[in-house]
Amino acid sequence: MPKIRLQSCDNDIFEVDYDVAKCSTTIKTMVDDLGLDDNDDEIVPLPNVNSAILRKVIQWATQHKDDPPPPEDEDNREKRTDDISSWDSDFLKVDQGTLFELILAANYLDIKGLLDVTCKTVANMIKGKTPEEIRKTFNIKNDFTTEEEEQIRRENEWCEDK
Amino acid sequence: MLLHKISSSQVWGQIALEASQVYIDDGGVARSPFANTNIEKLPDKVLLNIFSYLSHRQICQIARVCKRWRLIAYDTRLWKCVSLRPEVSGLHVGSLESLLALISIRFGPSLTYIELPIELITHTVLHELANKCPNLTHMLLDFSTAMQLHDFNEMQAFPTKLKYLCICLSEVIFMEGFMRKIYNFINGLEILHLIGTYEKVEEEEEEIYEVINVHKLKSATPNLRVINLYGINFVDDSHIDAFSSNCIQLECLAVNYCSKVTGSTLKTLFQRSKRLKCLLMNQTSLVSDYVMQVEWEKSSVQELDITATDLSTECLVDMLTRIPGLKFLSAGQINGFNDSVLKAFVEMGNPRTLIALDLDSSDNLTDEALHKFLSRYGHQLLGLSLSGMPHITDQLWQSILPVLNNVKIVIMGTHERLGVNIHVDQLIDCIANSCPNLERIELRWDPENLRFSDKSQKAIDVLRVKCLKLHCLILSDGRYYEIVKANFERADRLTVVRTTTCCRCSNYYLLTNYKDLIFN
Repeated sequence: MPKIRLQSCDNDIFEVDYDVAKCSTTIKTMVDDLGLDDNDDEIVPLPNVNSAILRKVIQWATQHKDDPPPPEDEDNREKRTDDISSWDSDFLKVDQGTLFELILAANYLDIKGLLDVTCKTVANMIKGKTPEEIRKTFNIKNDFTTEEEEQIRRENEWCEDK
Repeated sequence: MLLHKISSSQVWGQIALEASQVYIDDGGVARSPFANTNIEKLPDKVLLNIFSYLSHRQICQIARVCKRWRLIAYDTRLWKCVSLRPEVSGLHVGSLESLLALISIRFGPSLTYIELPIELITHTVLHELANKCPNLTHMLLDFSTAMQLHDFNEMQAFPTKLKYLCICLSEVIFMEGFMRKIYNFINGLEILHLIGTYEKVEEEEEEIYEVINVHKLKSATPNLRVINLYGINFVDDSHIDAFSSNCIQLECLAVNYCSKVTGSTLKTLFQRSKRLKCLLMNQTSLVSDYVMQVEWEKSSVQELDITATDLSTECLVDMLTRIPGLKFLSAGQINGFNDSVLKAFVEMGNPRTLIALDLDSSDNLTDEALHKFLSRYGHQLLGLSLSGMPHITDQLWQSILPVLNNVKIVIMGTHERLGVNIHVDQLIDCIANSCPNLERIELRWDPENLRFSDKSQKAIDVLRVKCLKLHCLILSDGRYYEIVKANFERADRLTVVRTTTCCRCSNYYLLTNYKDLIFN
């Protein structure tokens, strides 16, 4: 099986099966464009991903390399978030920083399956919380003035419960 | 690199700030190497993706978190499909003014689907939608609770790009005042749903009003592919005739629960609509003589639902031996469906194209005949329902499951209490080992009839592990349901196991036009 070498931003090199690496549309396009093959010594540089995260991404991609391609986003009225597989939910039992790094990596590497499952995980952390609870959970600063807060409350009061 | 430039006091401040970013190991508290990465580092595009998993009500909440979140929450891309019917889990918009503001500020050109309740269907709202939402293609108008129609005399505009229109009718409100204003705008319509107020218990004395003029409507909609008339008390054969006279593209016609339909115009329907592939006539008053007049051999019909009709054995034999390529058959609750029908289907018909079969409550079919049929054709079936038959027990299922290798949907069992018990562990084990593609399964047996042992966990484990596509497992509420539910929940598969009271399964998922047929 053809192998590919990936280089993280901290200069570690990972040798990966092409089947695993092609989960990433970014890498797949790079490899296809450059026409890398077995004999090449060339290395695919990934300047936006560090080793710890790249290792996790490869772990995820290895587990999911035989998955069917994720369906294109349809205009579903409300997308489900309760369909995260148990392997994925174990895999994503990490601290917030690591979770967001994984999202950034999935976004940069264009791995739709990983991006979707990580985004769902964050959505689940938001669900059912009040704005104040959300700020606490994610350490977000409330940058509204009192007047703005009042205004925005009015903007959205139409959709509050009867 | 950046980190090195920060002075150490700053780093300590940073750490204190990010106390929530540490995670707890078994061995104690460890600081994540990525504690500096917080949600604010995510690009807008990613936040938008995250928010797309939230309900509109929750999106209104998160708009109040901070300025950036507010901007993204108002992104029109999050407001493509909007339901404003609170009783079916939609948003509740209190006033017309708020809705008008929403349409222009929040929905705009992204809006493709909207559901409106009677209070919000006014000419100003429809004008606004027509002007501000050029990509609106799907619309549901719910008049079902109407006491009185708004005045539409001043209506001059209506969305012009509609492909899908669903109108929930009221029993007493005449729609013509509204309809004649929209006829000019809906000739691009491909999918039409008219939903009646069908209820199981019908009050005989009540007068029936023809609240919508189908004969005028059909002239305005020549491009319909899919027509669904559901549970409408006035719909009869003349309305089927009317649609077929003008809709040459018709592929799928459903008149389920329209009890005045007898089939007298089916012959002309098939003569005119050469593309008609799907005909659903559940709970109609079909007359065998009319059905036998149809030139079935010339039709391209592939999907047929005649459940709970009074068709005779002779008529069923006639149909099933003349239809050249039937793929989907729902023919439950028909007294005339007996062994001889199945035999004739095999000997003179063409069951080789069949992929879905529903014979719910067919009391006149024997288990021998079913066994014979399924042993031969079971391998090609994607959906099989043999529910509501006390004589079809786990024994028959155990014998045919091994050939049901491709099946995605299985419905078995009856609510009636049985004299014998169902050995559910062996049954589940057999399903797990025979049907790797299983997606939905329903076991309707009374919980008192399900016999399970201490080996049940093992059988459920096998099912869970082998049938990875299974996303819906329906059981009658009881001890066994609790056991299965707990087992799946331990594996983080939370929504798979459900009860028969809140969920029902059917072969309808296998219909070609299933997506077009969804309403409500």
